[in-house]
Amino acid sequence: MNAHPYAMSFLLATAHIHGPHISWAELSPIAVLGVGALVVLLVGLASSQMVRARLVPTLTLVAIAGAIGTEIWRFSHAPQTIVAGALRIDDLALIADLVCAVAAVAAVLLAWRARAPREAGQGEFHSLMLFSLMGMAVLVSAQDLITLFLGLELLSIPLYVLCAAEYRREGSLEAGLKYLIIGSVGSATLVYGLALIYGATGQTGFGAVAHVLASQSGGGLLGDPLLLTGIALVIVGFAFKASVAPFHQWTPDVYEGAPTAITAFMATATKAAAIAVFLRFFDFTLTAEHVNWAPALAALASVTIIVGNVGALGQSSLKRLLGYSGVAQAGYMLTGLVVGTRLGVSATMFYVVAYLLMNLGAFAVIVHQERVSGSDRMAALSGLGRRSPLLAWSLTIAMLALAGIPGTIGFIGKVQLIHSLVNGGYGWLAIVLVVGAMISLGYYLRVVAAIWMTPADARGVAVAGAGPLAGAPVAAFPPIAGGSPEADLQASAGGGALGVERLTGDPELLLVAGVFGALCIVFGVIPGPVFEFVAHAGAALVGLR
Amino acid sequence: MSPTTWGWLVLLFPLLGTITIGLGFRTYSRAAGVIGTAAIFLAFVCSVGALIALLGRTGTHREVVSSLWNYDVSAGVDAKLQILIDPISVFMMLVVSGVSTLIHLYSTAYMRSDKGYSRYFAYLNFFVLSMLVLVTGGNFIMLIIGWAFVGAASYLLISFWYRRSTATRAGIKAFVINVLGDVGLVLGTFFIYRHTHTVSFLGSFAAAPHVFHTDSPDLVAGCLLFLVGAFAKSAQVPLHTWLPDAMEGPTPVSSLIHAATMVTAGVYLIVRLHPLFQLAPTAAEVGAIVGCMTLLIAGTIALVVTDIKRVIAYSTMSQIGYMIMGASSGAYAGALFHLMTHAFFKALLFMGAGSIIGAMAGEQSLDRMSGFRKALPFTFICFLAGGLALSGVPPFAGWFSKDDILAFMDHRGGIYEVLGILGYVGAFLTGAYTFRLIFRAFYGEPSPEARELEHGHLAHAEVHRNPANGEEEDTDVGFPGPEHVIAEREPAMKVAMGILAILALVGGFVQVAGVDAVISKFLATAFVHTPLASPADQPSVGFDWIGLVVGAIVGLLGIGVAYRVYIAKPGTSAALQARFAALHNFLVHKWYFDELIDVVVVRPALTLGRFAQAVLERVFISGALTGGVTGIVRSGSAAVRRAQTGLLRLYAGAVVLGLTAVVLYFLISAK
Repeated sequence: MNAHPYAMSFLLATAHIHGPHISWAELSPIAVLGVGALVVLLVGLASSQMVRARLVPTLTLVAIAGAIGTEIWRFSHAPQTIVAGALRIDDLALIADLVCAVAAVAAVLLAWRARAPREAGQGEFHSLMLFSLMGMAVLVSAQDLITLFLGLELLSIPLYVLCAAEYRREGSLEAGLKYLIIGSVGSATLVYGLALIYGATGQTGFGAVAHVLASQSGGGLLGDPLLLTGIALVIVGFAFKASVAPFHQWTPDVYEGAPTAITAFMATATKAAAIAVFLRFFDFTLTAEHVNWAPALAALASVTIIVGNVGALGQSSLKRLLGYSGVAQAGYMLTGLVVGTRLGVSATMFYVVAYLLMNLGAFAVIVHQERVSGSDRMAALSGLGRRSPLLAWSLTIAMLALAGIPGTIGFIGKVQLIHSLVNGGYGWLAIVLVVGAMISLGYYLRVVAAIWMTPADARGVAVAGAGPLAGAPVAAFPPIAGGSPEADLQASAGGGALGVERLTGDPELLLVAGVFGALCIVFGVIPGPVFEFVAHAGAALVGLR
Repeated sequence: MSPTTWGWLVLLFPLLGTITIGLGFRTYSRAAGVIGTAAIFLAFVCSVGALIALLGRTGTHREVVSSLWNYDVSAGVDAKLQILIDPISVFMMLVVSGVSTLIHLYSTAYMRSDKGYSRYFAYLNFFVLSMLVLVTGGNFIMLIIGWAFVGAASYLLISFWYRRSTATRAGIKAFVINVLGDVGLVLGTFFIYRHTHTVSFLGSFAAAPHVFHTDSPDLVAGCLLFLVGAFAKSAQVPLHTWLPDAMEGPTPVSSLIHAATMVTAGVYLIVRLHPLFQLAPTAAEVGAIVGCMTLLIAGTIALVVTDIKRVIAYSTMSQIGYMIMGASSGAYAGALFHLMTHAFFKALLFMGAGSIIGAMAGEQSLDRMSGFRKALPFTFICFLAGGLALSGVPPFAGWFSKDDILAFMDHRGGIYEVLGILGYVGAFLTGAYTFRLIFRAFYGEPSPEARELEHGHLAHAEVHRNPANGEEEDTDVGFPGPEHVIAEREPAMKVAMGILAILALVGGFVQVAGVDAVISKFLATAFVHTPLASPADQPSVGFDWIGLVVGAIVGLLGIGVAYRVYIAKPGTSAALQARFAALHNFLVHKWYFDELIDVVVVRPALTLGRFAQAVLERVFISGALTGGVTGIVRSGSAAVRRAQTGLLRLYAGAVVLGLTAVVLYFLISAK
């Protein structure tokens, strides 16, 4: 009997009513997160304010660190399909896991003194974040239609709640509700599409679906309306999660309303997970259908690039601006997927890493900005360069990187995408990407101008000093010499009132902003390590050119 | 340690210096000078280390390449952070870091009262870093990065006193012309890369003979574009007009960047790319002719200019003309030898000029200076040493190095012989203008400032004025602060000038025809495959000495003329001016190059620009193209925002519409 491994395991499972064999080593990244979430939830019940406010976030960080540790431990091992073919732990999954986990670490730090966890309850807030992270881990490793949907829901449902975490604020509640309703539409579409694909192929395992599609090439299923409708619906479902136009409209509203730490988490981690599953599903499972879906995705990518960039132009709220910018960036990442080559997968994952670094730095500055001035208006940035040079530089670097200025990681990311596009025969899409990047300068540079060009007025400084959480001076950190015409004058004043610049802001925000800002530059100049890292992702998907 | 490890260290120290001073300037503003000088000194020590490591190797082992990491190896480009350590780059490293150390030392005193003290050292360290990247880069990418960085550093330093309108304008002019050169370099690289498919130097040189034949059109085009880069950076005709204006920067900057190092980058470029130029003799001839023209034109202008720094600037152009001419003709070792000795004596002359300007309380006009010999004895001796070396008086450095080039060219024959003989005419001019400078500034009746100084008082201006246009200086950020300094009272300046004076006196002995040839021997391995480096192409010792004697006579003749005009019969110069008013006017207007460029380039460009603005811009670009595009973008932006109603049902509607479109696409494309 020519026993198919998937059929085999199914038979075994029914025959003995035993659970499938579980390889705990491979499962460990997911398991650590699950256990961590439960522990955090329980510790959050403690009556001591101290335990809740300090221990819970610390435990959350420990759990994420454990997950990161296990992910690094499993990295660059041979791919393993575990839990009866439900999950496949390979380097693509692990890279996406790592990206999500880093985003989660940053989000926990950004939420350290925020309102959201205090209002929602420390235990609940953090365990929901861990559950969502676990959902991402399941989603990116999913090797089966059912697991895929499970992962997606496990990712989404905690996020719906987290968006509404500041439940005394209308905007937060509105964001949560909107996300829930529109998210349900997206999930429904996806599950419908998965059902149709199952109906057309008779299989739920990715490998089995790919096998069926490949074995009948040259006719059979390739033009099957049932399958194609299924694919179309799946595209819509994924596009929704990755905020690809025209399914992006929830993005700016939800980003603006949600607590900023959660916005940062959604913007980076959710997008990374969605792009990773997009890659796996299309460039592995449906790779035989490439001719059919590639033009559709290319069209979606170009629409997304244009709509995202054009939409961001007139925004005055930084979070909305980053929302639209995130839409445009999702379009860039989608282009690497379209070509369906190993180079494309690597370029996409490179951009995912770059996107993580670029956005987290920016969000840290926005959190700071909200704490000192109470709003995320762009106008409130004025004079940031004087008040807090470290944050100002981080935001500047983040904006320049997002725009793709040479010397930053965003430039290398775009070069890689363009390279893969030209190699894969999608030169026109590369041109759309470049045009999009050109338009994007129109709003990224506006942010940079707002930081540096407007002098700090006395009131702005006073507000910065009087904010409830401002202060916490760490060390003197002056701007670059000659950075402003007044620099010399201040230097000569040495030791005077102006000469003593303080590093203003909460230390964890400065840490996040500083680290990710610096990484944007470091990996922009030395991209080699990131190349090698993401090359594993391209190698993980078998069957690619 | 291997030579490349030393090479990386050479780059590391200036980088650290730049970052430390740049970030921490407010915390330790006074220490910036010490940090900066120490960083460059360590770079010099490491250059010596690289030299020693390289001397331990022989033959082709003296060419060592090291890559720190790949920047972007994709789409056929092999862009790596790569350095090439070979005799040429080690030689350049030594000259650059050595002279830079001394000029940093000099600056610690000269810039003391300037408000931008630490900003100055951050820029200066950045310049040295860029220059070292330029000379150590192992591929065209690194060369271009270094090339662009030194342009930027030069801009920052020319415009250093940014409240001076003349300084900012000069900075812009220098930057624009340098960018023109950058464009030439980048396009030239493209011409070569197209055929060799690599950006690394050694790879390109190895591939060049196989993909190009002699005078291949693309190769000649590439080399001519490289020459555009070299001419712009090295201030050769007709891209030279920025250099005199660049004297708006602080005097040590003129000394370091606009005399000793950056402006010689063009010479380095031609020497570095000599395998390509050997294959493109047509381009090489263009380089030699332009170098010769520059040395004559600049030499004549230097005879009439009255601003002390500008005289030295024109002299610099003229001397670089020799080097460009030599490097293009194949006298590579001679060109680099002259580059080295020139760095010594020209840096020294600028330092001396800085001291005189200090004594004149900021005044730079030769018309107002005279008789400083007694007031500034140390400066005078140093200036005289530099002047003798520059004029090619035996046995000073310039005598040996200049004639190394000219003898080679005369020996090579053909057009090069003519150019070589014209070079001796230049040597005559050199003697004349150099000693015009010395006689006018140091001899004759002491000026009021000199007299005051003889009594121990340093002249001090009531109101500081810009020497160029008389505007009042903004001393808060501007002119070297309220105090002026002279070498006689500053040990740091004395040490720097003293060392350079000794080098200017004895530096030539490393290569004396028939006695020793340290430089040629050291560099020989780099030119081992060069046809022109064979012994038959080298002039004989006797021929060399004839050249040396002729050079000495011609130089002394120039000095003699200057002596007659300014010392023996004062007033001759006024008579000559009256007699040859037209010629004098022609020279005072610098051969009308600025006017020529104005008429040929600037005015047509302006007219075209106005026309374009009135017709193309307003109607076509603004109206149709930009207006159209921005209109589309703007209305698109408005449309996206209008669609963003915040109403959930409309969002869901959009999702359904999009979904329908995607599903329809798939169904239609299926059948």
